[in-house]
Amino acid sequence: MIRSLRRVADRRRQADGRYGWLFSPYTGDEMVAIDCETTGLDTRTAELVSIAAVRIQGERVLTSGSLDLRLQPPASLRGDSIKIHRMRGVDLNDGDELGEALEKFLDFIGNRPLLGWCIDYDRAVIDRQLRPLFGFSLPNACLDVARLYLREMHRTRPQLEPTVNFESVAEALNVPVMGRHTALGDATTTALMYIRLKKGALTTS
Amino acid sequence: MVDMDLSQPPFTLLDDSGRERVVRGVDLLYFNRGEIILDAGQPGEFVYIIHKGEVAELDPHAPSDQARIAHYTAGDLFGAISILKGSSRYRFKVEQESLCYAMPKTLFEHLCDDYPAFADFFQRGLAQKTRLLAERRAESGVNMAGFMLARVSACMRAPLIVEATTSIAAAVNRLNESHADSLLVGKDGRFGVVTKTDLLNALVMEGATQARPVVTIAHFELVSAAPDQYLFEALVQMTRHQVARVVVVEQDRPVGVVELTDVLSHFSSRSYMVSLELEQADDLEALARASARLPELVQALMAQGIKLRFVMDLLAALNGRIVDKAYQLLVAPRYRAQSCLLVMGSEGRGEQILKTDQDNALIVTDDSDWPDREIAMQRFTETLYTLGYPPCPGNIMVSNPAWVDSESGWRRTIARWVERRDGASLMNLAIMLDARGVAGDTRLLDRVREHLFASCSHDELLLSYFARAALHFAAPLTLFGTLKTPRHGIDIKKGGIFPIVHGVRTLALECRINETSTLARLAALAEQGRLEADFAADLGEALALFIELRLKQQLAQLDGRQNSDEPNLVVVQSLSSLERDLLRQALHIVKDFQQRLTHRFHLEY
Repeated sequence: MIRSLRRVADRRRQADGRYGWLFSPYTGDEMVAIDCETTGLDTRTAELVSIAAVRIQGERVLTSGSLDLRLQPPASLRGDSIKIHRMRGVDLNDGDELGEALEKFLDFIGNRPLLGWCIDYDRAVIDRQLRPLFGFSLPNACLDVARLYLREMHRTRPQLEPTVNFESVAEALNVPVMGRHTALGDATTTALMYIRLKKGALTTS
Repeated sequence: MVDMDLSQPPFTLLDDSGRERVVRGVDLLYFNRGEIILDAGQPGEFVYIIHKGEVAELDPHAPSDQARIAHYTAGDLFGAISILKGSSRYRFKVEQESLCYAMPKTLFEHLCDDYPAFADFFQRGLAQKTRLLAERRAESGVNMAGFMLARVSACMRAPLIVEATTSIAAAVNRLNESHADSLLVGKDGRFGVVTKTDLLNALVMEGATQARPVVTIAHFELVSAAPDQYLFEALVQMTRHQVARVVVVEQDRPVGVVELTDVLSHFSSRSYMVSLELEQADDLEALARASARLPELVQALMAQGIKLRFVMDLLAALNGRIVDKAYQLLVAPRYRAQSCLLVMGSEGRGEQILKTDQDNALIVTDDSDWPDREIAMQRFTETLYTLGYPPCPGNIMVSNPAWVDSESGWRRTIARWVERRDGASLMNLAIMLDARGVAGDTRLLDRVREHLFASCSHDELLLSYFARAALHFAAPLTLFGTLKTPRHGIDIKKGGIFPIVHGVRTLALECRINETSTLARLAALAEQGRLEADFAADLGEALALFIELRLKQQLAQLDGRQNSDEPNLVVVQSLSSLERDLLRQALHIVKDFQQRLTHRFHLEY
């Protein structure tokens, strides 16, 4: 509710701006799977380390034209998160500045619907960075693959209590996990999961 | 960011930047079961590399039982031909839900332009793919490509040719001047060789004068080679004829000499050492020591990536020498002259690599007088056993009186087999057909074989009985043309080696070919026009592939890496995708050959 109100406000404000087109409804057949690696798990403090986005067109995952951005090391980059995404400060020294990176990201995704694994989290982190710099939140429609999977499971196998973690879902859907805990790898895997779900992997098997 | 396995051909033909372009340029696609990825007649837009799943290639115009062209699984690549040809000839249908990488046409074409070797890969036959595999193995092992590629011409020295009138003294002078070990003497357009040993023998042992013409001591039976032969073959020749040099002949003129020392400087490996040890062995113990080193030699040669047929040739020559030597040690010269020892089965064809069972027989002359023959033969069999040749389970050995007979006795036996033509007789005929004389008077065998050809090669009925065995075991391919994958592995001896060997043997019987090795028979059949040269070459490669796969397992067993005691069983699942592809193609060639045999010998029912 608040989000849609805020979107309407953003839209009015951006109507004549550079990003006005992001608010128009999408008519194509593509979607974009996104994933971010961050410095923590709290949306109020976590900072972006890398962002990746892969376009999906019908049944094809367009890995050839994917976006994989690494950002300059944020101040909060510390040991515990490095253990997960394996990006050290030095790995990020030639990364993009936050503003530049988000600009590239917005240009890449356009007004296409977004797709992600627990996308609310990624979106919250991105929005927190986006609002002070650009003055709006991501206006795109979003689809959470984890929730989609849960819904499909409830529909087809109501008696089961499904486990929803990334690896086990990938296995259940017969999707290879590519480069876990790299932004692009996770985004690609999420995209494949979505295609599998859409093609009825759970109903046929 | 794509997890692609680029360590298999054709991607090994690209360099790092090329592989980087592949990884960056591919998309991922998911297909459900039953979907058609590319239909016949459609233009090819992508090269597909399967990450997971199975895809079948179908011919939509063929009747459904023959429609299956090929089958692709994880790691395989398809669609490239459709791009090169413009449109797809066949239909690609998903058998099992598949995740594929798709490389766009433009990227593929650019890669083909930038890397010619990569482009070539897609237009090759089985023979060339095998070569690729061999090259890859050579790279991983010790680099012996230099030796393998060396031709005789690279290693020969100019011949020292003297007139027939030259005296011994002048000849020695010439030898010393040019630091050579041998010279050639020309006489009436023929050439003879004189070695230092010959000179020494003539001067010291025979007391020849220095003025005597050198031509009187020359040998005119030359062991020769052509300049474009492989050096390795020259080495085989030397081993076989027990000489230290071969004369290189081009258009009936000697153009050079290859000395053993020259070859050894090219090839400081163990093969000659083993044969040297064999020659020097003057008692059974020394012989046993030399013979025990053969498996080690095979391992070394295979690790060096030497082509299997040369290894087989060398091993056949060495094994022949061992048997011959043992025969010499045990049998007095008087009896040797009136008998001929035969080796048979795979040994006769020169196709066993590691030692196999002893399959042998003896022909003696009709007027032979050999009182203790049976005892001598019994001892011979036991001796071979101590040399590392296990006894034949079918008792086809000289210790068995049924396999020792006079020449006329053998003729009668063959006539009886031909007449009976039941399973055992046909098998005996096949065994006899592969016989190779290794010791004694080999003319005896030639006459017996001539008789065998005379009584069989026109007997269509017998030939068709004979050929039937080649169809006894079907190639282990599924109805759809893919490899069968039973858990315990497929039997390549039954499914691959035997049909080729027996089929070729039948054709050799029909065409009266004296060679005993399958590869030599194939070459002779191609020369006679009985088989197309291409098909004969493919059959030979297929056979070499099977033998190589079997040898690999045998070597693994020697190392104790593998416990299975059945080297003929190949577990398909453990092969790399290129090897699997080769095996599948090779088995298809076997199947094709079986069909031809069926047609030729009327075995349809």
